[in-house]
Amino acid sequence: MKQLKIAIALVLLGGVLTTAAFFMAFYTAEVQTFGTVTLDKTVDTAFGIAPQELQPPQGQGVAYERPWFSQKIFYFHVPVAEASFLVLIIAAVFSVIFLIKRRAADDTKARVAMETALIFVILTMITGVLWTRASWGVWWEWEPRLTTYFIMMLMMIAYFVLRNSIEEDERRGVYAAVFAVLAAVNAPISFLITRIIPSNHPVVFKSGMASSNLLPFIIGQLGMLALGYGIYVARMSEERLRERVELAKEALEG
Amino acid sequence: MAASESSARISGWRQFKAILHKDIVMELRTKEMLTSMGLYALLVLVVYYIALSQAGQNFQVRQIAAGLLWLVFIFTSLLGLNRSLVHEKDQGCLDALLISPIDRPVIFFGKAVGNLIFLVIVEVFIVPLFYFIFLGGQSQAETGGPIWMITLALLVGSLGIAGVGTLLATMSVNTNGKDFILAVLFIPIMFPLLLTVVAATSAVLLADPGYATVFWKMMAAASGYDAIMLLAAYGLYEFVLGA
Amino acid sequence: MADTLTTDCALEVRDLSRTFGAHKALDKVTFDLPRGAFLSIFGPNGAGKSTLLKVLSTLTTPSKGTARVLGLDVVAESVALREQIGFISHNPLLYPDLSAEENLEFFAEIYCLENPKERIRELLVAVELDHRRLDLVRTFSRGMLQRLSIARALLHSPQIIFLDEPYSGLDPHAMDILDSLIAQIRAQHTFVMVSHDLAKGLELCSHALILAKGAVVLFDERDNIDADEFAATYRATVGMGVS
Repeated sequence: MKQLKIAIALVLLGGVLTTAAFFMAFYTAEVQTFGTVTLDKTVDTAFGIAPQELQPPQGQGVAYERPWFSQKIFYFHVPVAEASFLVLIIAAVFSVIFLIKRRAADDTKARVAMETALIFVILTMITGVLWTRASWGVWWEWEPRLTTYFIMMLMMIAYFVLRNSIEEDERRGVYAAVFAVLAAVNAPISFLITRIIPSNHPVVFKSGMASSNLLPFIIGQLGMLALGYGIYVARMSEERLRERVELAKEALEG
Repeated sequence: MAASESSARISGWRQFKAILHKDIVMELRTKEMLTSMGLYALLVLVVYYIALSQAGQNFQVRQIAAGLLWLVFIFTSLLGLNRSLVHEKDQGCLDALLISPIDRPVIFFGKAVGNLIFLVIVEVFIVPLFYFIFLGGQSQAETGGPIWMITLALLVGSLGIAGVGTLLATMSVNTNGKDFILAVLFIPIMFPLLLTVVAATSAVLLADPGYATVFWKMMAAASGYDAIMLLAAYGLYEFVLGA
Repeated sequence: MADTLTTDCALEVRDLSRTFGAHKALDKVTFDLPRGAFLSIFGPNGAGKSTLLKVLSTLTTPSKGTARVLGLDVVAESVALREQIGFISHNPLLYPDLSAEENLEFFAEIYCLENPKERIRELLVAVELDHRRLDLVRTFSRGMLQRLSIARALLHSPQIIFLDEPYSGLDPHAMDILDSLIAQIRAQHTFVMVSHDLAKGLELCSHALILAKGAVVLFDERDNIDADEFAATYRATVGMGVS
């Protein structure tokens, strides 16, 4: 029960922090010109909510400042993406530990971490798509980061498909862990290779951040990590309860 | 003493040859894998024709030929890999192997090399056919880089497919969904390799100025993928067999 | 090392446990079996019989405790041990698309035998399959498969033979043949058999073991066992069955 309380507290904290970061992004963070992009066509300013002064000149095909919305979603998108990476690494580490020690608990930890990571990766995908729409005027772009995330999401879904198709507990754990390790090795290769393949698409992605905006970003990041850990702890305590129920059932039968 | 003396008799090379020989004899007898892979490849070519039938006169198939070619291989290899491991699983033969004094990597290399050979045979048969059906009649037919470059790209790609595929197929034959599970696991893991070999093959087929640079860069990336992933598959295979 | 193989104990099992999470497949199993004995392991489904057999035949590793087979540790000396193990299962563990002879040749290569031809011929005669040696295993009846499977298990002259429900799915005639084959090799080998068939198991064995929920309920020599009492003990475990 103590764990569940911690989990609830962490989820609440995470919620408050991310919300705070989001509001700060709107009210305290200054609007910056990050990079500039030259496009030949009129950019459809996404969601039509960017202030007039930030709209690109109509149909002139000149340098254009990143619109308003894409800056705001930054405070949500980047923290969630980084959190997803972190949880994914944790899942891979638990998988390796499981392969060595063969304890059922490590398998459960790896699985729960993978679940949490999948939630975060899906959130990253959604906010990422919003960003591409706002920033580049398209919903989807086969750009290295997006592509890698898409493939990663597929591998994580495959992880759960694999788990569901095996009945025997230990074999399920071993196969899932082997696949998790393989996927973890594969993800960085995917990213590197999508960057070096010859491509016709313009590279439109430039990052940078002024220190005055660091505060909402850090708050958002902390919130996201608290949220992630909270979800993980909550799911783990649920799993432990379920195990106890199983044990009790077995004892009754015996 | 007695135990270690008798162990000296065991030769991994002899065991490896036995597995490979057994797979080839079985395949020559039933022709099960080669016919199913070959026929499936032909069917995919028909589907390509349907897909391209309305593309119009100005459309150059050559622009996307490398992608189409690798698509055939990826789907036929799924079929072959699954078959190859089902043979071991069906009558429990894999258990008979595991209970014998054989190093687990020998099983991995034996099966992977067998799969590579069958995949290469299918490629030898499909590549010329593909060329004549889709590229032969085109005005650009004269251009294109040397054939050995395409061969190299095919080999490096097939190596990765056979190696990682053998590991994944060994897992998938022990699941409920066999071939479906294999596809779900295989395609995302193969993604970086496919991307590079398609780029390399495409560079040679199109032979734009400076294509050799692109080709070698892509081949380096593909070889890097092969090296890392084969090492990982080799290391993880023992865990899969032990489960 | 020299005397490890001449030790009097065929099996020395000490506090052997195999657990995964809350599930205990084996729970502190301890017993000794002398050389030349025939052990029958009984127990309801899920009692841990197969797991015990898998640990003893090096297919899986124990979580706790130790097991020595023929004086060799199942984990540390698994490779040397595998050369001494024969395995007969209800699954034939043979490749259906190879002939009887080819199957044995394959396994002879895996065990790296010297003069495999002679040994194979000798065994084929012993299991009365010499006249069918060139036929595909696919065409064999259940009984013939089981006989060939015995030949496969004896190929490398193992000292201990594991039998996993060898009688399941056999017709009475095939059972008789299997009985007489076991009788022939009985004197030179140690046997460990997992069985559902109480009468058959008791008839063959020199020692009997009942497992329930992974733990030893009863272990004794056949001569000390009263068949009716034994049957009652066995039946009492059936209800405790599956965990």
